Amino acid sequence: MDVLVENVTQVWGGGSRAEVVALDHFSHRFRSGRFSCLLGPSGCGKSTLVQIVGGLERATSGAVRIEDPAAPSLARPLGADSVMVWQTLNLFPWRSVIDNVAFGLEVRGIPAAERYARARTLIASVGLRGFESHLPGQLSGGMRQRVALARALIMERPILLMDEPFAALDAQTKIVMQEELLRIFEATRKTILFVTHAIEEAILLGDEVVVMTARPGRIKEVIAVDLPRPRALEMVGSPEFGALFDRTFHLIREEVTAAMRQQDAMASAS
Amino acid sequence: MRQGRAKGAAKGVGRLAERILPIASVVLFVLGWEAFVRVRGIAPIFLPAPSAIAVYLWRMILDGTMAYNLGVTLLRIFAGFAVAAVTGVALGVLMGMSRVVAAVADVWIAALYPLPKISLIPLLIIWLGTGEAYRIVISAVTAFFPIVISTYAGIRQTDRGLIKAAQDLGANARQIQLKVVIPAAIPSIFAGLHLGMGVTIILIVAAEMIGGSSQSGMGYLLINAGQVMETEKVFASLVVLAVVGAIVIKLQQWTDRLVAPWAHRDDR
Repeated sequence: MDVLVENVTQVWGGGSRAEVVALDHFSHRFRSGRFSCLLGPSGCGKSTLVQIVGGLERATSGAVRIEDPAAPSLARPLGADSVMVWQTLNLFPWRSVIDNVAFGLEVRGIPAAERYARARTLIASVGLRGFESHLPGQLSGGMRQRVALARALIMERPILLMDEPFAALDAQTKIVMQEELLRIFEATRKTILFVTHAIEEAILLGDEVVVMTARPGRIKEVIAVDLPRPRALEMVGSPEFGALFDRTFHLIREEVTAAMRQQDAMASAS
Repeated sequence: MRQGRAKGAAKGVGRLAERILPIASVVLFVLGWEAFVRVRGIAPIFLPAPSAIAVYLWRMILDGTMAYNLGVTLLRIFAGFAVAAVTGVALGVLMGMSRVVAAVADVWIAALYPLPKISLIPLLIIWLGTGEAYRIVISAVTAFFPIVISTYAGIRQTDRGLIKAAQDLGANARQIQLKVVIPAAIPSIFAGLHLGMGVTIILIVAAEMIGGSSQSGMGYLLINAGQVMETEKVFASLVVLAVVGAIVIKLQQWTDRLVAPWAHRDDR
């Protein structure tokens, strides 16, 4: 599934004096089966963008279309082909691991025996066998992240929207989860939109890195990452990786500085 | 090393003190009271010695007075609490689901919540007499407000992220209410039920004291013993009320933990 974003503009508090333009005429085609990373300073509207794509926010103007490359004329409702993985995880704290993972099947009315069987398979595939009846509060951060991933993957949606999913993890766990995600992507070839503010993560995971400007969020540059797959963490040391990192770093530094200046201006204005 | 061991030992002493001092404080208090009464020769009408209270308490237990009156009071407490819990949670949930219900209920709650419910006693006695209905209504009306307010607050404060996640996973509005919003509000609902239980106990005992005609219950026992200057009986009743109140509240906390273990993560 391609995700076609056309001229999407998002304005918060429209009409009031506190009006904030989060996204400004953002247009991009996220191609089917590719891993795209959205990279930009805080507040550049990257989270807003994935929520618009997921049908969870309505854009002020512009449009998002989900296109099946095999049947491009067919209109598909937003949200029906995608599923989110959140930075805050948003696991239901009162539900056991298996009931969290099976939630999407439960609300679809799939009988308990079937949904638990499928949930068990997915829980095992993310390495959490034996933790089915634990509550999220009894798990470590990395394990919770796996539950969130399994809960999204069970939906079998072709598009995976990931909003800084690993930002809250410690460095070691983050590495393990990145490898896990690479394995899943390389096995399933879903279309992934991955929001991050970590340059290294964006290059390691992505086929392309969409570098965004400070608020209002626009595309500054799209960097193609032509590192071979399967990717491995060792590539971080290669000269190709280094060159990509430098290029991205210079682009992003300008934007982060701009974003900080904006925040200073806002702080002194208030 | 030595410093570490000293620190460890200090920690052990601290933990031991934490265990023993609460009990020791009660024992010391009772012993001090006994000694004070005996040494100063205070008349039992003003302040009976703990030993005398214990004797009266034992007699009241043996002749069945305590069991009967305590049983009656507990039944009334649970009846009043049950009425308040069902109506309070139901209205709180409805308020959370419908803006119209919330707007209408809000006016009434704002007006009636600050009103001291005891001031309704004369009216309720005129309307209902001094029977069971009056006691249950006065306690239920009082407990209703904290329950409805906490329930509504819990429903409203549901994490937006959880709602969005459920929506993203395909839940419809009704499923979001039943499977996300209401379970998320359960810790708040329980907090409201705790407050409600506390005021139910207070109001039932107070109503038993004021109602007059009932001739039963811990409140009646208290007021009656007081009027005939049987101070030992007053104290014996107070001790029973305090102990039973503590047991009821602890039982409630235990039930909470059983029903909603996720809400007490730091206790584990």
